[in-house]
Amino acid sequence: MGRYIGKRILTGALTVLAAIVLSFLLIHLAPGDPASILSGMDSPSPEMEEALRVKYGLDQPLLSQLWTYLKNLAQGDLGESISNSRPVAELIAERLGPTLLLSLTTAVLSLVLGTALGIYCARRAGSKLDAAMNGVSYLFDSMPGFWLGMMLILIFASSLKILPTAGMVDLRGGYTGFAHYMDVLKHLVLPGLTLTLISTPYFFRIARSSVIQVMSEDFITTLRATGMSESRIFNKYVFKNAILPTVTVFGITLAYIFTGVAVIEIVFSWPGMGSFMLKAIGNRDYPLLMGIYLILSISVAVCMIVVDVIYAFIDPRIRYS
Amino acid sequence: MGRTNVMKRALSAINGNIQLKIGTFLIALLVMVALLAPLLATHDPYVLGDELTAPPGAEHLLGTDGLGRDVYSMLVYGARTSLLIGVVAAVISGVIGTLLGGIAGFYRGSVDRTLTEVNNIFLIMPTFFLILLVVAMFGSSMLNVMLIIGLTSWVGNARLMRAQAMSLRERTFVLGAVAIGESKRQILFKHIIPNGIFPIVANTTMNISGAILTEASLSFLGLGDPNVISWGQIVFNGRSYLTSGWWISTFSGLTIVVTVLAFYMIGDGLNRVLSPKLRNNN
Repeated sequence: MGRYIGKRILTGALTVLAAIVLSFLLIHLAPGDPASILSGMDSPSPEMEEALRVKYGLDQPLLSQLWTYLKNLAQGDLGESISNSRPVAELIAERLGPTLLLSLTTAVLSLVLGTALGIYCARRAGSKLDAAMNGVSYLFDSMPGFWLGMMLILIFASSLKILPTAGMVDLRGGYTGFAHYMDVLKHLVLPGLTLTLISTPYFFRIARSSVIQVMSEDFITTLRATGMSESRIFNKYVFKNAILPTVTVFGITLAYIFTGVAVIEIVFSWPGMGSFMLKAIGNRDYPLLMGIYLILSISVAVCMIVVDVIYAFIDPRIRYS
Repeated sequence: MGRTNVMKRALSAINGNIQLKIGTFLIALLVMVALLAPLLATHDPYVLGDELTAPPGAEHLLGTDGLGRDVYSMLVYGARTSLLIGVVAAVISGVIGTLLGGIAGFYRGSVDRTLTEVNNIFLIMPTFFLILLVVAMFGSSMLNVMLIIGLTSWVGNARLMRAQAMSLRERTFVLGAVAIGESKRQILFKHIIPNGIFPIVANTTMNISGAILTEASLSFLGLGDPNVISWGQIVFNGRSYLTSGWWISTFSGLTIVVTVLAFYMIGDGLNRVLSPKLRNNN
């Protein structure tokens, strides 16, 4: 098992390194001078250029610049935001909370919902309900998340007026304590629902196909021949074997959810990294954009490693191989 | 064995599967719309009109947007952008995936190990943000958007082709080709890739959907090509008029949904027809 975990950590580390190298190369390959990219100006002032040259060693050979870049990153220095003139790491840290709240809530909800529905349909594979659910899963898969969010705003907020359309808290409410949490929860409903609806199909299909696959294996036929009841076969043998693939892809799916979350945040003016990112795009704030990209790559890699380690512990086939 | 066989299988597949029939019909329709856009459009989609956010009616079938442009005509012209971006990006990723996967699965060894690791890295990396960074820094021309989507979405194709190559290289006709002294490169391009390409064709169809959705998201972030009309941009522009002009975003979004769904139906249909295991299970 140590070897397996070691390999996964290596992959995670390589991913993070690849993300760093890619973002570094982008600064140098993009049209225009690296100093102008890093300062966000077409022609930075001589003082600015000098400061950047010292910090990143822009006159050094490419490889030693990469080394400086890595050293800065290792110290948690993601550079300075152009539009705010504050450290990128600090700015991101401020915005991380709401994004994590939204994406983790959604991830867990869609994992549970998708898996439950997938198992339910797999046990009725070929039925009308199964076919209908399959169709629905493709339908939601085909929707741009931001569009679905806007449609939900139209229905629930503009027409029915039962849910807030924007933000995370009611600014005029000034709630504290329990009322504050309820307020956040109310604001979480629509963005959370949007993201859950577009992420659930993925888990649904994986759970469904892995249950169908396990059910068609020989040892299940043998168990049936012994006269064991279907529900017992399912609870004791199918479920455990079929649930594992869903857990494995959870780590990878987080990457997709993080991606989806940024756009959804913009639709609902959720005060997370997404709306922040939009501003960074508008301001050509490349250090900030790159910081967001790096933080996301690292978070996803860490999530994947954690999930894989848990997986190795619960699946003996990996533990003993 | 060879390309003609692949075509034959594709045609018989379309005939036997309802999902494929609907999907193919919808896409054929859409291609017609894109080709005949100047004939089908009722207004010039680039011309700003006097009637701002006019609701759907006789003059403007699907209403007008905030600048008075005819939404229906914009959607008709937008089909060109979305189809072009989707198809070109998916073909780029198909070609890269087929070549890399074929090489990895056929040659094995250290080439395979390296490619598998690159594969794993791309699988975890939040590629949408990479795409976003590149488009923000290099400019949001249609060419850039197509290229970067294609260059970041080949991983699935490579995995599929690798598996195909690994199984094909043990087959008798390939071993036969080795025995009569065909070079490895010849075998790869003459036998392995033509015979193993079908899952990649199905997956590429699905990738068109993915590329269209990615383009839409980029447009929604204001990173679409400003010189062309795209469905994502219409949704984005309609956001400011969500309550006063619901039709702008609603219809453009629906167009995206139907198109993406149609490509999924074709891809999924092809997969089902070709994999007996899936066929029995469903």
